[in-house]
Amino acid sequence: MPNAILDPTGATTIGQRKPAATRAPRPAGLQGATIGLLVNTKQNAAPFLDEIGRLLIARHGASKVVNRTKVNFAAPAPDELVKEMTAECDVIITGIGDCGSCSASAVADGIAFESAGLPAAAICSDAFRVTADAMAELRGAPGYRYATTPHPVAVLTPEQVAERAAQVLGDVVALVTEEE
Amino acid sequence: MTEAEAPDPDAAQAAIEYCYAQGWSDGLPLVPASQPLVDKFLATTTRSPDEVIGELEQVGRNCTVYLAAVNAAMAGCLPGYFPVVLAAFDALMRERAARGGGWQSTSGPAPMIVVNGPVRHELGFNTAGGAFGPGFRPNATIPRAVGLIVRNAFGVRPHVLEQATQGLPGRWSICLAENEEESPWPPFATDGGQPAGVNAVSATLLRTCEFVDNRHTPDPEQVLWDIADTISRTGSLIFRDTSAGVVLCPEHAQMLAGAGFAKPDVQAHLMEHCGRTGADLRRAGKNGLRGPARFASPDESADGEFTRILPSPRHIPIVVAGARNAAISMVVRVFGEWSGTATPVEPPPAAPGRPAAPRESPPAPPPAVPERPAAPLGVQS
Repeated sequence: MPNAILDPTGATTIGQRKPAATRAPRPAGLQGATIGLLVNTKQNAAPFLDEIGRLLIARHGASKVVNRTKVNFAAPAPDELVKEMTAECDVIITGIGDCGSCSASAVADGIAFESAGLPAAAICSDAFRVTADAMAELRGAPGYRYATTPHPVAVLTPEQVAERAAQVLGDVVALVTEEE
Repeated sequence: MTEAEAPDPDAAQAAIEYCYAQGWSDGLPLVPASQPLVDKFLATTTRSPDEVIGELEQVGRNCTVYLAAVNAAMAGCLPGYFPVVLAAFDALMRERAARGGGWQSTSGPAPMIVVNGPVRHELGFNTAGGAFGPGFRPNATIPRAVGLIVRNAFGVRPHVLEQATQGLPGRWSICLAENEEESPWPPFATDGGQPAGVNAVSATLLRTCEFVDNRHTPDPEQVLWDIADTISRTGSLIFRDTSAGVVLCPEHAQMLAGAGFAKPDVQAHLMEHCGRTGADLRRAGKNGLRGPARFASPDESADGEFTRILPSPRHIPIVVAGARNAAISMVVRVFGEWSGTATPVEPPPAAPGRPAAPRESPPAPPPAVPERPAAPLGVQS
């Protein structure tokens, strides 16, 4: 009997022990809702999310926005920040996933907020779908839905950012209000 | 080996194809690892096979000493290299970019591993010509082991969690053994807080390497100007500050030392002379600053100002490597910034009945270096 060829990936990693993630219940609409905007500091992320927040107030009756910034875009939001925003907000918009690590972590953040009981919409550039989907699977939420905007985002002018925000608004609203 | 003892190529090929089929390979054939082989790796260290040597929190994966041994064996390392693999991985895990999103990054950075001490000769590292490879087993397989750990233990694979736009030549293949014998200065590991003569490994991540061929002048100031010009190109400038190492060939290093430059003098010279005018930065769309981030600003008021881009000596690691046969050095583009520390290589465990060799002292904190007040260097991902 020859020796077995050893597996270099590790059969028991913490990732593979992740339980299936839960999805937060959805409100019927955003009337009076407090919108949490979690900005990941990527170029144009702040004006993009600001515009989404403005449109949610103007067109969907949201009452206000709460702005928070994630200092390390590559990593998922710290537990403290998730807890703090969960206490203050009704729904979360996070992004923009516009790089290898930050698109994955934007999706991880969305899933973390869902587990904390808040509907979330992560927004990623469409160039990073595969890595965003891979992260969703790692976080126990295969098929987790998020919004996409065409790549690139970083080089858009302020006017183009506003256009893009308006384009993705419908998807964002659907993500945080419609049951699956 | 007699003909009767020759290994079975068909069995070897089948085993190699098995490894490909599992998705474990970086594209090149792997050495199929068996328990007896991996046991030889594990016997070179006193560390427990279960010890976690690195974790990538965002993807929920980690690497143990055991997994590192399997991957090192598959990379083609000899068991005796394993303490260097572990030291290299420890050194990399001190890099903020390697603990964060570096392996997933669109920039696709390459680790640069630098080995110092007698272990270079004991293990047969190339310390002379062709420092960036290929051709030498320890130099080639140790960085490959790191790449396989990232792929297999961390699960960061190309096109999925790894999102390199173009990557770079030399990823998973840069392991320099410093040419201490022909360097006029103390070993690189002393810049990382280790005593001279100790076996130690330093590591950082690179975005690329760019040669500076200057066999044109006997004037060290001209050579430094040439190096500064390469460091100062705008294409590699992303944030307010940058970091660029210099791998000097022995000829350049000796010329500089002969003119009275100690390594800190070279670093001070480059800190002073590397940079661009505001007009140049504006032409490249990188003149505006929002915190540490650069952006295209229409503001022309700083066009005449010279902006320096290297904030401290730690942002200019200097290594001496290569042959003393031409005045060709390399600028290496550090991804983020070097931790400024070197990691000692664990000595071989004692044979039974013999006292263990004393372990090297724990790594010292980074040496104090004068820094101009700088916002934290960002890392592009």
